[in-house]
Amino acid sequence: MESLRMSGPKLACSRFVFAAAVFAAIVCGAPAASEAAEDVVRFGAPLPLTGPLAPEGIKQQQGYDLWAEQANKIGGILVGGKRYKVEIDYADYQSNTPRAVQTTEQMISQDNVNFLFGAFGSGAAKAASTVSEKYKVPTIAAAASSSQVYDQGYKYLFGTFTPNDTLTTPLTEIIKAQAPDVKKVAILARNDLFPLAIAQEMEKSAKANGFEVVYFEKYAIGTLDHSATLSQMKSLAPQWIFITGYINDLLLIRKQMVDQEMKAGVVTMIAGPAYQDFIDSAGQSAENITSASWWHPAERYAGKDIFGSTENFVKLFRDKYHSDPDYGQASAALCGALFQLAIERAGSLDREKVRDELAKLDVVTFFGPVKFGPNGQINSLEPPVFQIQGARPVVLFPPAIKQGELKLGVN
Amino acid sequence: MLVAQVLVNALVLGCLYACIAIGFSLVWGVLNVINLIHGSFIVLGAYLAWGLYQSLAIPPWYALLVAAPLFFVFGYLLQRSLLNRVIAAPVLVTLTLTFGLDLILNNAMIYFFKADYRKLSLHPSMGSVSLFDVVVPVDRLIATASALALTGLLYLVLRRLRVGRAIVAVRLDRDAAVLMGVDVKSIYAIAFGFGAALAGCAGVLMALIFPISPLTSSTYLGKAFVVCVLGGLGSVSGALAGGLLLALVEGVGSTLIGPAHATTLSFALLIVFLIARPQGLLGRKGFE
Repeated sequence: MESLRMSGPKLACSRFVFAAAVFAAIVCGAPAASEAAEDVVRFGAPLPLTGPLAPEGIKQQQGYDLWAEQANKIGGILVGGKRYKVEIDYADYQSNTPRAVQTTEQMISQDNVNFLFGAFGSGAAKAASTVSEKYKVPTIAAAASSSQVYDQGYKYLFGTFTPNDTLTTPLTEIIKAQAPDVKKVAILARNDLFPLAIAQEMEKSAKANGFEVVYFEKYAIGTLDHSATLSQMKSLAPQWIFITGYINDLLLIRKQMVDQEMKAGVVTMIAGPAYQDFIDSAGQSAENITSASWWHPAERYAGKDIFGSTENFVKLFRDKYHSDPDYGQASAALCGALFQLAIERAGSLDREKVRDELAKLDVVTFFGPVKFGPNGQINSLEPPVFQIQGARPVVLFPPAIKQGELKLGVN
Repeated sequence: MLVAQVLVNALVLGCLYACIAIGFSLVWGVLNVINLIHGSFIVLGAYLAWGLYQSLAIPPWYALLVAAPLFFVFGYLLQRSLLNRVIAAPVLVTLTLTFGLDLILNNAMIYFFKADYRKLSLHPSMGSVSLFDVVVPVDRLIATASALALTGLLYLVLRRLRVGRAIVAVRLDRDAAVLMGVDVKSIYAIAFGFGAALAGCAGVLMALIFPISPLTSSTYLGKAFVVCVLGGLGSVSGALAGGLLLALVEGVGSTLIGPAHATTLSFALLIVFLIARPQGLLGRKGFE
């Protein structure tokens, strides 16, 4: 007990030491802290790092991290002759869209981020953009393509995916030209903004090209059993099955298609087959599945951004993650690189000035030419169509980077 | 042929739904506790099957032998140490307690396993069997047969074993059972243990077919709830009837009005049953 007691002078002495320490910390520490804060540009990245959309969220995080690492390697972003380190604040919204909105608001109002990356997917990106627009925070969405995201008249929202019809139109034209026996199409869409929007584009595109759409239905988010839906689809004997959703939905549906012994000349799935995880998990059942995405590592662009060229981006990615990048990771890295370009051109971290520079961008990057339309959505890319052949994605379109011919028959 | 395929799909899925609901129905029927932790027990069972297969290559049908005693002990201890303390309180108290326990278990699973989807993929894949163009995957058939076996086993336990008769006696008349010398607290704990064991086993079977994630627990709980209302509390056959009816409604609804509305249809049916036939298809007092 003795050791716990302090005599009067001892107590006074220790109080003095404590007060002196606090004073020293305030006098010496405060300027250091504010100096450090001034040298950093903070980006907020609300992501679905857990939950059904986690595979997609983690890919986006990898893209952002690669960009931040490259930017910080050269000292950071150059703003008015001074380098600012890049810092990314991640927040996991657990694949729950309302939580993505809350997280975005928290990042702006409490974490004081300078700029934002959009939430994953059209649905969450659209919902969260209402908050970033309210606070006038420039936001680039790395994975939102549906026009409904950009037709809100927002000034501070930009996106690196072209509209959905840029994927479905070339796909339909390829099937029409190379598979003349394919007449009947069945479409099944996840009842979510992007998957449903691209399915509707597909329906339009198929009808415009003379295909008969024999089935068009939506499945609820979180559906575990698709057996009744697939049985009905099978009974209609479509030659082309077009299914939309995210990677976990598509793997589940593909497994249940195999269970039901469903076969078709063409099976298209968007979005997921571009990811190596899809190919690894689906195994043999991934063979000959067609898809389309917004970028492919086979592209060859000499860019003005920090990555310089597509080859260099692919090399840096492989060095860091020991795998090939896909469009999700590339788009996320591009968002960072575009912010860097806009901030450096603005010469300031002022949100208005950076927003104006983003709107003015007309630049070639490792991802391709980047120019945003008046609604903020990129309108300068030609997305590739590909097919899984021999457990790897083989590009069928555009002709400049074509790697193989369409193969028919999915068992 | 589509009609036959839809009916077969519904039959298979219905047995799985019954398996999901049977433990829930037992606890609700005997203890009058709406056990909101049931869905998380199912997911935990699925993780157990997944873990045993990934690490020790133990197939799910053997994992049942591990899951049943493990979950029984877990459920028994939970009832003995926590739920028995508030069992006499109004239903809202036990509901809140199981809600809290569910939050803890579900968040613990998110913490340890992450909310990512995992899949138990058997190597080699078991394929499908087809008869007159009606196709059924073998893994679903195995899960269905196991689900029926578990349901039958519970029926036998309740009918033939002393402990089963005691459970039924407590359900029929708690006070009379006490006068006959039944240790009600023990019976409650055993019934809850059975409920947990059945949930764990259902999880093992679900792992064969569906992806595994803590986020699916609310889906399983919702299905169990609907099955109990449709089939009625108080009988094993009620759970089976409820499961089959739900699967049939979902299958036919999905075919006729589209898969997006199948769940809406099943919950609409739930409301109709609650208003027009609250005791369900085969509901009655007691659990026989």
